[in-house]
Amino acid sequence: MTKGVKICLAVVSAVFAVSLVLSIRFLTATERDPSKEDVWVEIEQDKKVLYRLNLADEPDRTFRITGSDGGWNEITISRGRICVSDADCPDHTCVKNGWLRYDYLPIICLPHKLVVRFCEGGGSE
Amino acid sequence: MTTKKLTELSMLTAASLIVFIVELRFPDILPIPGIKLGLANIFTVYAVYRFRAKEVSLMVLTRVILGAIFCSNLSALIYSLSGAMLCLAGMIPLHRLIPEKYLWLCSIIGAMLHNTGQILAATAIMGSLAVLPFYPILLTAGCIAGAFTGICAQLILRRKLKTDKE
Repeated sequence: MTKGVKICLAVVSAVFAVSLVLSIRFLTATERDPSKEDVWVEIEQDKKVLYRLNLADEPDRTFRITGSDGGWNEITISRGRICVSDADCPDHTCVKNGWLRYDYLPIICLPHKLVVRFCEGGGSE
Repeated sequence: MTTKKLTELSMLTAASLIVFIVELRFPDILPIPGIKLGLANIFTVYAVYRFRAKEVSLMVLTRVILGAIFCSNLSALIYSLSGAMLCLAGMIPLHRLIPEKYLWLCSIIGAMLHNTGQILAATAIMGSLAVLPFYPILLTAGCIAGAFTGICAQLILRRKLKTDKE
């Protein structure tokens, strides 16, 4: 094993270890109970916050967000949970994502530049 | 470029394109954008060790552009393109440093660079850091997938070198 290989192996192992630890941390969902506490989420498109909602107060509903390019995402709120239920983007990753679960991992629709994520409470409705 | 080389490169491009399209039909392992095995990269890693930088780049560029056209997902082209370019920019100089015996290591680094390129492109397009938390997850998955594709490429290369000798 040459010195170059050793250095590469060390770098790869270090990056793998760090990212594994961070992945486990990010993929640990925080249990939230909208019947007992406020659960704030924000919906952002093109760097602008469109909605700030408290899921604890929101009635079950489905609404559509249309982007500047005409593309749309359908957001569903049900029993204190939120997801993108339908969209006309080509990859549908946002729909496959399911309910918003993780603190660090927002639901993202790259083609429509849409982000749905948990946020700190308060602020305007 | 000799005819033999041209034919070999075209064959590799076609084969990787087929693998790429077939892999799109697989169900997603995780509902996280960007995570996949990247089986088409078996051909990329193999080509890095067998052909010159220009030839490999041509092959990968053709595969990425045709792949995006064939699955009519042109908006994803920018991510695969930036990923593939960064991956090649790292793997081509590295393959001089890393002997064939450790090809899988080169493949892992390539996969990590591919993920880095994708995240950079996504950050630039979104104009926000919202995608950044996905980076360690992509890297972890990229390491595993890169090791797998690397081992596959290593087996193919070993067999090819053996038949070349005979």
